[in-house]
Amino acid sequence: MRRRVAVTGRGVATAAGTELDPFWASLMAGKSHLGPLRSFACKGMEEYLTGSEVELPAEDALPADIDPNRARSRCAELALAAARRAVRDAALPADPAVRARTAALVGSTMAEERQVTDLTDRLVAQAPDAVDPSFLSRADNHRLAALLAREHGLGGPSLVSTTACSSGNAALAMAFDLVAEAQADLAVVAGADTFTRAVYTGFLRLGALSKSFCRPFDKRRDGVTFGEGAGALVLEALDHARARGAPVHAEVAGYGVSNDAYHITAPEPSGDGFARAMRQALASSGVSPGEVDYVSAHGTGTPYNDLCETKAMKAVFGAAAVGIPISSLKSMLGHTNGAASAIEAVACVLALQRQAVPPTANLTEPDPECDLDYVPGVGRPRKVETCLNLSAGFGGFNVCLVLRRAP
Amino acid sequence: MTAAPSAPAVAVTGLGVISPLGDRLDPVLEALRAGRGALSPLPGLGAAAAVPDFDASRYATIRGLRLYGRPIRMAISAVQLALTDAGLAPGAIPAEELGTVTACSLGHLETLLEYDRSVATQGPMRGNPALMPLGLPSSPGAAVALSFGAKAFSMALAGAGAGLDALGLGARMLSAGRARACLVVASFGLSPELSLAAQRAGWLAPDGRPLPFDRRRQGAALGEGAVALVLERLPDARARGNAGRALVAGMGGSFAPHPSDRAAALARACQGALSQAGPGPAVGLVSAGAAGVVELDRAEALGLLAALGAAAPGTPVTAVKACLGEPLDAGGLLQCLPALDALRSGQLPPIAGLLEPEVPGLGYLTAPARGDVPRALVTTTTLDGACAAAVLARIDER
Repeated sequence: MRRRVAVTGRGVATAAGTELDPFWASLMAGKSHLGPLRSFACKGMEEYLTGSEVELPAEDALPADIDPNRARSRCAELALAAARRAVRDAALPADPAVRARTAALVGSTMAEERQVTDLTDRLVAQAPDAVDPSFLSRADNHRLAALLAREHGLGGPSLVSTTACSSGNAALAMAFDLVAEAQADLAVVAGADTFTRAVYTGFLRLGALSKSFCRPFDKRRDGVTFGEGAGALVLEALDHARARGAPVHAEVAGYGVSNDAYHITAPEPSGDGFARAMRQALASSGVSPGEVDYVSAHGTGTPYNDLCETKAMKAVFGAAAVGIPISSLKSMLGHTNGAASAIEAVACVLALQRQAVPPTANLTEPDPECDLDYVPGVGRPRKVETCLNLSAGFGGFNVCLVLRRAP
Repeated sequence: MTAAPSAPAVAVTGLGVISPLGDRLDPVLEALRAGRGALSPLPGLGAAAAVPDFDASRYATIRGLRLYGRPIRMAISAVQLALTDAGLAPGAIPAEELGTVTACSLGHLETLLEYDRSVATQGPMRGNPALMPLGLPSSPGAAVALSFGAKAFSMALAGAGAGLDALGLGARMLSAGRARACLVVASFGLSPELSLAAQRAGWLAPDGRPLPFDRRRQGAALGEGAVALVLERLPDARARGNAGRALVAGMGGSFAPHPSDRAAALARACQGALSQAGPGPAVGLVSAGAAGVVELDRAEALGLLAALGAAAPGTPVTAVKACLGEPLDAGGLLQCLPALDALRSGQLPPIAGLLEPEVPGLGYLTAPARGDVPRALVTTTTLDGACAAAVLARIDER
């Protein structure tokens, strides 16, 4: 018998804030946090370095015993900051027996890539002597989940998902199953990423980096603007949450996953992969298309992604697609890669709780081919009982999560 | 898996391996049964087990194959062998019904280093843009799904213990009806940087001899390879005439927040897997992840003692990393080889080189043996604290 799965903890570490109220207020106001980067340098890329940066409170600084070089462990720092907030929000019991039944999952696109960049720089300067004794353990991407589990004393399964920019959603999907199938009673799940040299330069060379700023669904959109950040949720068996009197913020009802199997970077042009993930998500949740009140889009601001997503919406919802608000947080936070869908999942929970939908900023010149309700400009009140959190990643990894209002 | 009483059982219907002992199952299994190793001193790598003369074009004709790094090419080759072993021709499973789960977390590293080095030394406009997406941790999973046109779920996991997690995840996805078949693949490729890093981390035995569970052990030796399994729901496999090699009967995962918790964590993972497998015959073989790393082997032995209880002394334990080295991500699936073999043949491979077990009370195999193996337990523990266990079961059990 599968168990119902509640969301009992929420946490963010974003340019729009590290606490839920300012984060939500900023999103609803349609405030863009994209600007010249101060914390990240990449030689020869100066004119392209635009994005959103996170200011973490001092208490979230990564301890030196984890890495004396905080910058190269920035992804872990962000993941831990968001997870810490979610754990606090869930009032995770200190009881060791509960923590032993709590899983730790992290999704990330680049994960510990900065460890590799750091090594490259030292290899170039110092040749093989640059390889230090802790490099392998720092560069092991599973370290993200291990650090999270260690900080909170979690003894359940620990997994790191690397399905590129849908990694956060994929981690949530796996955690949903672990809890539903009673392999864990709770799961602390984070998605995190920061800026890396390979991705910035690679996107530039692939023509996918915006020359101005991210404008999802706008006629003038020309690519991605990156951001760093993390989002985290605590998932918990509904009965377990009720038994301990935990706040139930929302319910995860199901998910869908698909692969385009089309191209190593480009999405399948018809949007079929997105559509299959959405249909599977609805079917697995027992939700009909007519029940969906809001869709948090992947919405990267590349010409092809936003069109694919629009086509998929129409394929799944038919004529009703025009009546379903769909918006992209990337217009405000930039594309935070593996963190994006986790941050967007937190926003979906807040949409369900606060009965409102966040907007797509920077959308002022509609693209005739993208003709849905993208909630341009500012957010708006809306009855939200059910929402979809849609994500995709390089390599065709599509994941769609279904969240419902707390039962 | 038996996650829900009504969920259909999931079977392993195909097996493919690219290993230092070869790519044909029978000779590889023969070598393991005899405790024959593949470790040797290699230039720039120290003592390691390498796949000799590997050429992916012998296995698969796939666009872009040459661009992929060695671990990805090995993964794709292993999948092709597994599909052949399963009797599945291209297109036999509709694209929308074929899922993938990959555990190949260092599979992108060499490509990333190459790309990043070109950017660092020549500037951002000089790197080969085709290499960047292959330098992402997602690239092995993306390449596998793309190469085999797998359009159902595709999940990718990272970590030295992720192979067994991938197996459990694939089985769970099929059990839930998310596809008809799943390709589960794990892969690890040797590289000078990784060997140097492992050596400087103190993981490697100075004399190049891994001696799992032996009190004389001083460290591991790296080994490369890829293992792929085809999973299908048992009724689907039977309907197309494949009897299946084994059932994926149970899976457990855990984490040790402190190094001193490792044994207890592994015991929890084993108990989770055994409990999910449900009542049934005793475990006839443990295929352990021990690779000669001092603290990990000890924790694994203590964890197995706790998990097996009174049955521990009589339960045969093997550790194939004595022969094949430590293949990190690929370890868990590589350990499935002797387990799958023993379920069918009753042949129990020894732990090569084991003379003086450090932790008494387990049924260490110090010589080739035979036994009835209705169920096998496969276990992994990692230095960062992750533990996993899987129960594979003979199909005539039900």
